[in-house]
This record gives sequence, structure tokens and C-alpha cells, in this order.
Amino acid sequence: MPDLILSGVSKSFGNTRAVEATDLTFAEGQLTALLGPSGCGKTTLLRMIAGLEDPTRGTIRLGEDDITDLPAHKRKFGMVFQSFALFPHYTVRENVAYSLTIGGIAKPEALEKAQTLLDTVQLSGFGDRRIGELSGGQRQRVAIARALAQEPQVFLLDEPMSALDAKLREEMQVELRLLQQRLGITTIVVTHDQREAMTMADTIVVMSNGRVEQVAPPKEIYHKPANAFVADFIGKANFFDGEYRKGAVNIGSFTVDVPANFATGSPVRLAIRPESACLVAERGQNCIDAEISFVRDLGPVREYHLRTDIGPLIVEYAGTDGMERVAGDKTLVHLPVEALRVYPRAVA
Amino acid sequence: MTIADDIDVTAVAPKTPVRGMTLKGVLYGTLSTLMVVFCIVPFLLVIVISFGRKVDGAGWVWAFTFDNYQRFFVGILWPDEVTFLYLQQLGYSFYFAIIASVLAVLTALPFTLLLTRLKRSKQAIWLVFILASLSMSEVFIVMGWDILLSNNSGLPKLFQVSGLTQWLKDVGWFQTLRDIGLANPRNVKFKPSEFATILTMSYLVWPYAVILLYPALSRLDPSLSEAARTMGASRWTVTRTVTLPSIRLPLMGTTLLLFVFLLGSYVSVSVFATPDKQTTAVAIYSNIRGSNLDAPFGSAQAVILLISASICLYFGHLLNSKAEAR
Amino acid sequence: MRIGGHIFMALSALVLAMPIVVVCAAALNGGRSMFFPPRDPTLARFGEFFVSEPVWTNALSNSIIVAFGAATLAILIAWPVAYLLWSTGSKLSKALAGLGSLPFAVPPIVIGVGLGFFWSFTGGLGHIWSGVISHAILLMALPLVTISIGLQSIDRAHLDAAATMGATERIAFRTVVLPQTVPYTISGFFFVLVLSFNEFIVIFFVSASAYSTVTLQIFNSLRNGYTPTMAVAAITFLTVSILVFSAVARWGDLPRLMGADQSKK
Repeated sequence: MPDLILSGVSKSFGNTRAVEATDLTFAEGQLTALLGPSGCGKTTLLRMIAGLEDPTRGTIRLGEDDITDLPAHKRKFGMVFQSFALFPHYTVRENVAYSLTIGGIAKPEALEKAQTLLDTVQLSGFGDRRIGELSGGQRQRVAIARALAQEPQVFLLDEPMSALDAKLREEMQVELRLLQQRLGITTIVVTHDQREAMTMADTIVVMSNGRVEQVAPPKEIYHKPANAFVADFIGKANFFDGEYRKGAVNIGSFTVDVPANFATGSPVRLAIRPESACLVAERGQNCIDAEISFVRDLGPVREYHLRTDIGPLIVEYAGTDGMERVAGDKTLVHLPVEALRVYPRAVA
Repeated sequence: MTIADDIDVTAVAPKTPVRGMTLKGVLYGTLSTLMVVFCIVPFLLVIVISFGRKVDGAGWVWAFTFDNYQRFFVGILWPDEVTFLYLQQLGYSFYFAIIASVLAVLTALPFTLLLTRLKRSKQAIWLVFILASLSMSEVFIVMGWDILLSNNSGLPKLFQVSGLTQWLKDVGWFQTLRDIGLANPRNVKFKPSEFATILTMSYLVWPYAVILLYPALSRLDPSLSEAARTMGASRWTVTRTVTLPSIRLPLMGTTLLLFVFLLGSYVSVSVFATPDKQTTAVAIYSNIRGSNLDAPFGSAQAVILLISASICLYFGHLLNSKAEAR
Repeated sequence: MRIGGHIFMALSALVLAMPIVVVCAAALNGGRSMFFPPRDPTLARFGEFFVSEPVWTNALSNSIIVAFGAATLAILIAWPVAYLLWSTGSKLSKALAGLGSLPFAVPPIVIGVGLGFFWSFTGGLGHIWSGVISHAILLMALPLVTISIGLQSIDRAHLDAAATMGATERIAFRTVVLPQTVPYTISGFFFVLVLSFNEFIVIFFVSASAYSTVTLQIFNSLRNGYTPTMAVAAITFLTVSILVFSAVARWGDLPRLMGADQSKK
């Protein structure tokens, strides 16, 4: 199966640019997540790949073939929609068989093939049911089976979990990923849920305001976010604004050593993940006085909300740090140099 | 992103739409022809013929004269004699239609409000009843009310037999009824009269009013009136300040539609209205196919009626867009 | 609902039913006059209407031909107009929809006169088929509205989904759009049917006394006075309507077809 390649693809609606010129390669057999807040253009991008929207500029290639001008019904990329879009006037089996029956395959054969697919998604006995009788999770499986019936080269999913309740969502993320790996099909998932992206994807494309912010595997996105937006969107981060000065950043009257190089005096934004900071007893490099304002014990993690002179800060421990601390306690917080990320800051 | 990025040297050529005989093109062509031929030409014919001239013996010829319109406004013997008969007929058309449509909407409104608050299954039953009553055409309705209001076997008889007439005489209201033409010396008399005409016309369009108001009223959000009630508003205040303003538009729209429909009402008027209060619709009928057979003049009257109706529809449209703009 | 509400609805129903009941009961009159309550009640009139009197049996068959013909024709014209309006929303499609609704929006006497002239010039005056066409033109606004409501209720995502599975617009229309709008098509058909049965002004002008429908026949006889046989027609129409709309209510969602909110109850 060939790679899917986007070159310079952009989309404008009238005067609004929904998607900026984008170059992306979706390697065959990989699951890529398009991740971003609502309105960032990820769904528009997916629809252009599906052929449901035409790019204002740019080309889309599947291997050697230019498919930019190919209409959706000729591309035949299997797609699962946010609302699942199951046909209420067909049974479950007829829904799954739809692409086959209109493709000219004889009805009995098509229905047989549909049954096989239903077995794959563990809905074997549901073939004769009506869509209205199904639960959200069952509908999702039907939608998946239906999209895969035509054995597409690319599998597209638009926020496939949003119609499910939270517990089911987590289960289905794992299941869908396992299914995709078994089939080895090139898959693109649009989502606004970063946990979903982290669970399922080989590569994450983080988008904001129509622009691609970072393209990388989940671990890299988490530990090496390319800019402040990505750092904030994925996981949690503490942010501080200051000015860079010779290997350190001045935040107010404090100086924090950083592993970065900027022009002297340039405004920067520091980011550090809550689990990377820690509370210490003895002063060392990058230690700041802090007072605990709130303790949030969630079971598997414990958060300490701190007030410091450089601003509020949250420190997270897995389980507990062994210390009994309460609100009001004074302590020291240590910001390890290697855990700090520094980004340029635009001054208003 | 610089401006240079927008000047894309290797830009993809814009897609050229496929020209030629697509199915959609054929559809558009056929439908346009159909519409023009059947929906526009008849109206054009009426307009053109209104400028024609009647000849002796119930015929007419193509011509271009304003005589018919002049006759409509000031009478055939102008400038020797002026008659506003035809204008008066138009006036009565408006008079009957306005009162009847407003009456219908005002009585249909509370009914439909109550209807939308019932359970869906009960609503369906009522809707079947209302829709079935639509199957009664104007002739049947007029027939029915003619019997009901007839002096010998209808309501007047009932009034007499039940002693209501005597009671009215005793109380003194009988004289008032005589003054407005709803009674002769012996008993109440409901037809022919304006009352009967308007009653029948109103009755005729009442189910349409219910059906037209139904979608808007069924979409009313009950939580709005509930919120008002928790803030101390009585039921009537809630209706006045919350419910009615939100349905002002469908209300006016429905009244307007029914009014335009009633402008053309024929049977009710010809049966129930006194001879001095006939309408343009009746006159058109007698000019085109009835006793007078003056097709050009009838056409002129039809055109005037059409223009009046269109003006009203246009004002309604204006009010609509003004309200939506706010 | 409070008592006042119930009383009001009951009263409205009573007033609504009164003339209908009167007319229907008058069909039972034994003599030639319409009395209420009926004198010498008999069912002979029904026999006259359906079987023996040619003037009525002809009128009845004409009514049926015109009504069914007009309903079919109206649906056939209204569907493409509604579909074009919904799928393209182009200025031309809006104009077509507007033109199609025009005859229904103005007092019917005007279009009646106009069609009378039209057919007299094109040679259709006094023929049944011109009556069918005339009613279709007059009433096509109704299926236009009901089918448009039905089309609007289709989720556009369904069309996208069909496209990703290889359906061209034609296939999507046949397999996704048409099946889901069946109830609206049917209700549009029945509206035209019922209203065509009732309509007499337009038929009056285009039939030019060459044939008559039941309603027209009654209308013509108005000047000669009513006979109880006419009331049989009323009962027939009423019964048919009740049956038809009850069927729609039983197998469909009548409140929704009339425009009620889908999400409630």
C-alpha cells in the first residue's frame, strides 16, 4: 500500500483561511492522529483527504497517483463520521454491505461478506437489527465495519469516540488500535483528546489555527514539545514568562538556569511539567521558596499547588512523596535544568 | 508566511466544470419551461386580456385600452356619472377577509397552544380530526351553516323553541339585534347578514390556522414560561410577555396568508351576504362565466385583486425581514 | 392542563363539528329537502349517489380521476424542484420553487380565470386532462413544502458517508435520500388528493360546463337548492379523509409531518 502525501495543501472559505499550506506524509500502515482544539482545521484537512472538500491549493498523492481532482466516490477511502451516519432505513448488515451492493456485487455475496466483518467487530448476532436499537458503542462498531467493507487503502475517522461515554471511550481506543495494527491499514484519526492521540497514534500531528505545530511520535511530542502551544495542549505544564540572559532566565528578581541559547534580553516563556519538578529540603540549583496553597490527592497522583515568587506552580507526585504536607506548609521547589523547556515569547 | 507564498508558481490549475448535457441541466431546463408555461403564462393572460375590449354578444377582442380599469375605479359612465361600486366591492372583499382571518387566528391560537401541550399520541388524534375537517370544501360548509342558520330548521328555530328569543326580548337586547340586522320583528334572523358571511369564512379557514400555527407553537420552549413563573408572573402575564412576543411572526404570517386566501372567497359571500355587500370575487365570477360575460372587465377585476393581494404579501415580507434584522 | 383548557378545546371541537354533523345527518332525509334533524330517515340517498344517478356517478369518477391524476403529477413536478432547491440552493432553484408556489399563494379565483383563458387558447378547455394539470399546478406548493421538510431532516453526513463508500449523487439519491423521505412524499400526495376533491373554483373555470366533479356539481346545484344526495358526497369525503389521515397517523409520525419538533416526547 502506498504512502499518502499532501503537498502545499491549503483551504480557504471565502476570506477565511481554514488550513494553511501543509505538507504531510502518511506512511503506509501507520496510524496518524490529527490533534488540536476545535476550529484548528483538522476536520477540514481530513475531509480534503476524503475528497469531501476540494483543496484551494496543493496536491494530494497516493503513491504515484495524483488524486487531488478525484471525487470522493472514486477515492473510496473508508470513513467513520462523528455521528456515525448509519442509514436508518437499512438493517445493520445492509449498512455494512452498502459499499459492496452499490459496487455491483450480488446481494447474497455482499451480505455474506458483511457478516464476516460483523464477526470481526464482535457484532455477529446483530445483523438483522435496526440502527435505532443499537447502543452508542455498537453503532460505532457498525460504522467501522461499514467503512472497512470496501477494503479501502486509507481509513479515516472523524472524532470517532466523541459519541461514546468516557469508560467505553478508553476501551475502544485500545481496541481500535489493535484492529488497525492487525489490518495494517493506513489510518488517520481526527481528535481533540490528547489521551486518545497518545494511546492510538504512531505519529501525532498537532494543529492550531489551521497550522501544523508539530509532527512527531507521541513520546517526542510529550517530552520535547516544539512550542508553548504544544507544551500546553499535550499534558499539563507550568508556564513562566521572563527574559533570557546568558544561560539563565530572569523572572522578576529571580534567576533560573536554563539549557537554551537566545539573544540577550529576548522575552521567553519557560515550561516545566508538574511531574518533573520536586519538593526539596535543601537549597540547590534552581530552587525557589514556595508555600503550599492546596493539596489535591487523586489516588494515583498527588498534586501540590504552590505559591511562589515567580508565580503559581503545580508539582505532581505518583502516589505520594512520602511526606505529609498540608496547605500552609513552607517548602522549597526544585526545577531541574534538563526538564525546563524555553520558548520565544511574542510581546503584545 | 510571506506574500510570496501566495503567488504560487506551481499552482494547480483550477478545476473546470464539466459542461454539456448533464442530467441536472436537463432537469433545470424542463422545469423552467414548465414553470414559465403553467405558472406565469396564465397570469400574463389575465393581465393582457384586462386591456381588451368587450364586443356585443359575450365576445371580446384583443386591444389595448384602459377602459376596464377606468371603469373599475370610477364607473362606466365617467365623467358624466361616477360610481364607486367596484371599489366598494373590493372594499367589502377586504372587510370580510380581514375580520374573518383575524377572528380565525385569534380563536385558533389558544386551541393550538393547548394542542401542543398534549401528549404526542393525543395530538395525533386531534390532528386527524382537524385534517379531516379540511376535506369539507366551501360548498359543504356553506351548506351546513345554511341549514344551521336557516329560519325554519336551524338555530333561530332553536332560539324560538327554547325561549331564548323571548328572553332576549324581555332583557331588551332584541332591539339591538334588530338594529344591526340580525333579527326581524318575530325572531332572530342570522342570514343573510355580515355576521353569517364572516362566521362562515372564519370557520372555513380555522383548521388552516391551526395547521399553520402548529409548527411554531410546538417549538415553544416551556422552560421560558416556567422561568417567568418562578419570577412571579401570573399565567396571563406569562402569555402576554413571554409567549405572544415569541410567536408574533408566525401569527402575522398566518393571518396574512389566510387573508389573501379569503380575498377570493366566493360561495360564502354569494349565499350569506346581502346584495348590497357583494365582493370583487363574486363580480369576477359573474363577469367571466356568469351572467354578465364581460371577460376583459372580469380580468381587470382579477388583476386588481391580484395586485391588492400581492401588496399585502409584500408588506408581510417586509415586516418579516425587518423583524429578522432586529 | 386545567379545566378551562379542556373546556375550550371541547367547545372548539363542537363548533367545528356542528355544520359537518348537520350536513351528514341531512343525507338521511327521506324527502327532497334538507331538514335537520332528518325527516323520514333513509339510506336511499347513498344508493343514488354511488349507483343509480348518472349525474352523480359521473361526477364521482371525474373527481377521482382529477384528484389522483393531479396528486401524481404534483408529486412528479414537486420532487425535482424540491431536490434541486435542497441540494444546490442556487438562485434558479429558488426561483423555480417560488414560481411553483405562486399559484397557491394568491386567491384561487385569479389562477382559475387565468387557466380558463390558457386552456381556451391551447385547446384543453373542457377536457379532463386539463383539469388534472390545472389542479396539479394549483396544488404543487403542498408537496413542495412537505418534501422540503423531509429533505431538510436528512443528515448531510449520510450523503458524505455514501460518497466515501462509492455512491455517485444518483446512487445516493436512490438509496439514501428517497427511502428516508417516503412519508413526506406520501403526505404531500394525500394533501393534494384531499384538496383537489374539494376544489371547485379552478375546476369551474377550466371545465367550462363540459364535465363536472362532485364538488362542482354541488356548487352548480346550489342555486336549485340542496338535495340530500349532495350530503352523501360530504359523508364520503369526510370518511375517506378520516381513513387516510388515520392511516398516516398510525404508520407515520403525524405531528412531525405537520412540523412539530422532532426531539420532543
